[in-house]
Amino acid sequence: MQVGLFSELINRKFQNIAENRYKEIVERYREFFLSKEELVIPRVFRVFLLLDRYSEKPNDDVYETLKAYPNARVCLLYVVEESLVRLVASTLGEEEAEKLRTLEINFGNHVLDEVESKLKEMKFEVERRFIFGVRAEEPLKFEDDCDLFIISKHYGSETSRTYPVSPMVYRIVQHIEKPIVIY
Amino acid sequence: MAITAQEIAALSIFTAVYTAIMTEKLHRTVAAMVGASLVLLINIVPWEKVPEYLDLNTILLLAGMMVIVNVSRESGLFEYIAIKTAKLSKGNPMKVLLLFSVVTALVSSFLDNVTTVLLLTPMLFYITRQMDVDPVPFLLSEIFASNIGGTATLIGDPPNIMIGSAAHLGFNAFLLNMGPIAFVDLFVTVAIIYLVYRGEMKSHGEREEAIKLAIMSLNEDDAISDPVLFRKALITLGLVILGFFVHDRLGVEPSVIALSGASLLLLWSGASPETALEKVEWATLFFFGGLFIVVGSLVETGAIAQLAGWMVGHISGEGDAVLIITWFSAFSSAVVDNIPFTATMIPLLKAMGGSLNTLPLWWSLSLGACLGGNGTAIGASANVVVLGIAHRESIRISFGDFLKVGMVIMVSTVAVGTLIIWLRYIGL
Repeated sequence: MQVGLFSELINRKFQNIAENRYKEIVERYREFFLSKEELVIPRVFRVFLLLDRYSEKPNDDVYETLKAYPNARVCLLYVVEESLVRLVASTLGEEEAEKLRTLEINFGNHVLDEVESKLKEMKFEVERRFIFGVRAEEPLKFEDDCDLFIISKHYGSETSRTYPVSPMVYRIVQHIEKPIVIY
Repeated sequence: MAITAQEIAALSIFTAVYTAIMTEKLHRTVAAMVGASLVLLINIVPWEKVPEYLDLNTILLLAGMMVIVNVSRESGLFEYIAIKTAKLSKGNPMKVLLLFSVVTALVSSFLDNVTTVLLLTPMLFYITRQMDVDPVPFLLSEIFASNIGGTATLIGDPPNIMIGSAAHLGFNAFLLNMGPIAFVDLFVTVAIIYLVYRGEMKSHGEREEAIKLAIMSLNEDDAISDPVLFRKALITLGLVILGFFVHDRLGVEPSVIALSGASLLLLWSGASPETALEKVEWATLFFFGGLFIVVGSLVETGAIAQLAGWMVGHISGEGDAVLIITWFSAFSSAVVDNIPFTATMIPLLKAMGGSLNTLPLWWSLSLGACLGGNGTAIGASANVVVLGIAHRESIRISFGDFLKVGMVIMVSTVAVGTLIIWLRYIGL
């Protein structure tokens, strides 16, 4: 008997014995098997860590995640809402606005110093940027230069019972196509 | 001696059914049902004799286990076992070979072989892809382990269920007689596979970490779709296995244990009986039913008694009988489906009971029928299922490729089994 005939015979027997059950089982396995794309670890050369007045300081999980990319350059981006400073200037005057600006700069630098020192301890190359702008839009400008964003769930506004994640984070996530880690 | 018209009809129908089953031109269930209908229509088997030939113990045991397996499957229990096994292997080819063979044999000894390989083969494909190794040795080992594991217990393989029912041999008797044979044979098989395919078993040096990461990233808890049902299924399966161990002492048939387990799981889990019973393989149960009646026609016409008489006349003792039945069963089961083969051999062995101690012969039949299936690609359902899946995954294992390894495994494992039976029952 030719080999082809045996293949046909095996095929017929398989169809009669188990074809339908096999389809069901394979479907179930697909739920937890990783695809080829999922198994490729993304190459990350530049990470943007977004910070503002409301952001929590990066926790251990964030630093653990960064350890997966030891050669990445980390950019700390601290954003102060420019419209708030302008609002203070127009209502309380330039002097009060300047005070607010100084306070924000001091607070921001303090946060940046702390995070920078921790990252340098981990041997990361760190750069820092301090921006007065629109908190929801500034991160979008850096998307092309960035492989991974890390953002606190409190970024942009404190969370509430209604929103476990700040609405501004939702807005950024919707607009950025690069991978984002939310902590 | 003249052959009667009824004998000719019964033999013709029997041969036609066998041919149809072997070639699968007709679905095996249809073949068996047509054959059974014919022998009933022309009154070779009188209607009142049907309950005698229809082995309800076998059919109900199979049905009970099918319900338990189908309800348990919904919880993700078997996928959980597959993922756990994969993670234990940590992506080392040798460990994958050994662990999957042992787990396949263990699961096959309590569940039917087809279900076992259906559930484990997709995982084996996934792992071998991650390891970037030829899946063939792993698939072959899984097939052989499944057939070997099935040999170990009363409920592991349909021929054993049929033999147990016909010869009134209990779960413990199978475990004590066939268990050690299966245990030794499993390691003989893994050793042979390793020797033949040792080139594929090398670890991957610098890629080992990446492979390990890919396999360890699987989460077995993801497989559990219903944790409550998962626990209930585990407990019920445990109770059923315990029940099989003590069914002799309780004085109940194994089928009663399986049906009680199925009822308990349906009652306790609240699973829909319609869904559970829908998934019972009715085609398989009707195949068994039809086959029992077709073989019954040979008993009814006296053909089996004549063959048994002829055999007894040509056999000088139990030693000869052990050798003949074991090797005849092994080579026959490598070519013919072992279920119809065993169904035919059972009345033959019963008929030989007047002149010989048939106890070692039942073990010989079990050994040959279960392990003979390893000989060829079409020898057992597990072989067909794994090769069918491989074909769908574009892995080609030809009949010849299988035969080369299968025959070595079959001859080695049956020889080991024969030696153990011989030492136990015949002596030096």
